[in-house]
Amino acid sequence: MSTIYPRRKATNGIMMVLCGVAAVIGLAWLALILGALLYKGLAGINLAVFTQMTPPPGEAGGLLNAIAGSLVITIIAVVIGTPIGILAGTYMAEYGRFSKLTTVVRFINDILLSAPSIVVGLFVYELVVRPMGHFSAFAGAFALAILVIPVVVRTTEDMLNLVPNALREAGTAIGAPRWIVIRSVAYRAALSGIVTGILLSIARISGETAPLLFTALNNQFWSSNLNAPMASLPVTIFQFALSPYEEWQQLAWTGALLITLTVLALSILARSLTGRREDR
Amino acid sequence: MNNMVSLDKVAPQNISDKAKIEIKNLNFYYGESKALKNISLQLPERSVTAFIGPSGCGKSTLLRVLNRIYELYPKQRAEGEVLVDGKNILDRSQDLNLLRTKVGMVFQKPTPFPMSIYDNISFGIKLYENLSKSEMDERVEAALRRAALWNEVKDKLNASGLSLSGGQQQRLCIARTVAVKPEIILLDEPASALDPLSTAKIEELIDELRADYTIVIVTHNMQQAARVSRQTAFMYLGELVEFDETAKIFTSPQEKRTQDYVTGRFG
Amino acid sequence: MTLAMAEQRVDTRREKVVRRFAFTDMIFAGVSRAAAILVLLILGGVAISLVVGSWEAITTFGLAFLTTESWNPVTEKFGALAPIYGTIVTSGIAILIAVPIGIGIAIFLTELCPRPLRRPIGIAVELLAGIPSIIYGIWGLFVFAPFVQTTIQPFVINLFKDIPGLSSLFAGPPYGIGMLTSSMILAIMVLPFVTSITKDVFDTVPAVLKESAYGIGCTTWEVTRNVVIPYTRIGIMGGVMLGLGRALGETMAVTFVIGNAHRISASLFAPGTTISATIANEFTEADGELYTSSLISLGLILFVITLIILAAARYMLMRIGRKAGA
Repeated sequence: MSTIYPRRKATNGIMMVLCGVAAVIGLAWLALILGALLYKGLAGINLAVFTQMTPPPGEAGGLLNAIAGSLVITIIAVVIGTPIGILAGTYMAEYGRFSKLTTVVRFINDILLSAPSIVVGLFVYELVVRPMGHFSAFAGAFALAILVIPVVVRTTEDMLNLVPNALREAGTAIGAPRWIVIRSVAYRAALSGIVTGILLSIARISGETAPLLFTALNNQFWSSNLNAPMASLPVTIFQFALSPYEEWQQLAWTGALLITLTVLALSILARSLTGRREDR
Repeated sequence: MNNMVSLDKVAPQNISDKAKIEIKNLNFYYGESKALKNISLQLPERSVTAFIGPSGCGKSTLLRVLNRIYELYPKQRAEGEVLVDGKNILDRSQDLNLLRTKVGMVFQKPTPFPMSIYDNISFGIKLYENLSKSEMDERVEAALRRAALWNEVKDKLNASGLSLSGGQQQRLCIARTVAVKPEIILLDEPASALDPLSTAKIEELIDELRADYTIVIVTHNMQQAARVSRQTAFMYLGELVEFDETAKIFTSPQEKRTQDYVTGRFG
Repeated sequence: MTLAMAEQRVDTRREKVVRRFAFTDMIFAGVSRAAAILVLLILGGVAISLVVGSWEAITTFGLAFLTTESWNPVTEKFGALAPIYGTIVTSGIAILIAVPIGIGIAIFLTELCPRPLRRPIGIAVELLAGIPSIIYGIWGLFVFAPFVQTTIQPFVINLFKDIPGLSSLFAGPPYGIGMLTSSMILAIMVLPFVTSITKDVFDTVPAVLKESAYGIGCTTWEVTRNVVIPYTRIGIMGGVMLGLGRALGETMAVTFVIGNAHRISASLFAPGTTISATIANEFTEADGELYTSSLISLGLILFVITLIILAAARYMLMRIGRKAGA
């Protein structure tokens, strides 16, 4: 007894210190990355970044066309992906709550949720780019839409499942048909959660590079043609970072900072929406 | 065989008004398990009927058959006949939404919709009627007055229904139900989540509503059944044990099981 | 009589409305069902398009594609062995690094961390899980790789130069970029995933279970080791597999620092390649049907591997979910 207990205590102490060390290492490492990003990225922030096009090698310039391209592609992807995701989630939580199909869709959707995004890029290349014969902003948006869908499906289903059944019964009991109960009662009760899902999906795609590489490609110039290659922030970062030109590398850091800030802002906004919900 | 005998007994001799609801040989199943066993009874028009019994006796299930709300869930099914005004509502051709405009329901927990007080009431009306703004205002006011809520909320009709107290929310739900002009109102333990004061208000309200509506109330509170209902059905393990005038059920029941329950010996 | 007639009118009007309701309801149910089926079709479509795209490579090389190391666009001889090897080795090492640290952080957060710090650190970890991989890539290329080149690699090479086995594992000129650097970047990337899932499954352990272990005098570590971890084993495994799936399919973080060399080297310091890095680097420049088709075949292989891993992960997480629900 007298020798066992000190040893147990010592083991406990050592393991707990190790856990603490793990936490410090993990968090410090992540802090280092963010620190470097801020340090290098902020150095390049100026007005030109937002007002000038991506420059040819060795010259100064900005990221205007890349930022605009990312916005356009992201917006189209969300416009395509969100309704599909919400409808599918609605089926799973409402009409098909007890059906076999829902179980299967949920499983497949969870797999899509973490499937490699580069594979989605290949899919869209085969489906859109190859038949059309050229790269296009539309193909890029389509690829990102496929990444939006599973995120929105998942949150929509989860949030609708949180709506108490009593509320649905109450709507039904005054003679409202199912779709009106869903639209006016269930959606309304789950609104903040569904919006959270959409925000998270935007956060997810705003940094995606791999699926854009061979769908939207890149474009050094301003383009508003959806049927032609379009610049995007992530692909520009990829190209510029791997280049030997200092101006390009600086723009890559700045672009990386912009993406990270966007993603963090979206995640925090999404979190604050659901946070309020829980408080209520 | 046993059922045939008890059937005669449950047809109350001294309740002779016109029957609004007539339940005949009703069986109900949750998947494989049978929750209601050969229930038959007649509920008179414009009168309050209470279903009492220990938890799990099937009283709520029976109530949920009357507007077929159970249809929201798979594997729940009813067999037999439920005649409302002589028409079998269990018939496949019965439109469910139409049935529910005729048979309203108020639930155990208050269930205000996530919208304003005004919209909570107008929501159901708008489904079936095209009213002008002033007509709608009148209907909303009338419904809220009927539920004795008007004076408390008339200055904040645009506030969220969720901002009301529990008792007010429940009266809002009653107002919402009467707003669509049903003929029958089902109350599923409407006061069990409320404090005594709010409960008293709900009971008062039921007393006022019975002149115009056929009311069926499920309650586990025997005093409440005794206070508000004219006739009472005692159920046990999915069977209808006894159905008679409330006073008789509570003072001189025919069945020993009823006697034991109302005197608090079990349940 | 007039009252009855009025009621009759109300009834017919309601019936009309009800018919319209039934129709709209049918449409809405149908459309939402179609959307749900579309989710299935997307996964099916991905599989089919990948098979179609890689058909030419499959018929040309057959199964030898999986076992051939050479990757030569000039002679059009393609084999997937090097990228498969690179993918599995980098992901495997990344998981070996990330899992103990991730579990350590999760234990720290659930057992040790002072209460006021728990939520902020938990949130920080989850936010970090959302940072796009290209950020890790650019950091790896400009900050981490030079650091590895000038500090870690010379030190390790010196340390092991006389030990057989280890000397070849850590041999070669210090490039900075290479397999081990990629593994470490991947480890940082999957760390938040592993941590937040582990923390979530730790939270499913009923408090009474832990309390009764403490009640018989167990230390925090003993409770964790003998109660919490056994209880959540399946969930942790699921989290690890999910992290592995993530690492296997990760593209951008690796592409920057792997070196893109189609060969299998004994040394972890040598440049290599992974499936996703190969596709990202070469796809737009690939000329010739066979070259493109070979790259798509790589995609197909990646898809199949991750599909199996992710399905297993989801299955395990579903099981712990059921346990927690019961």
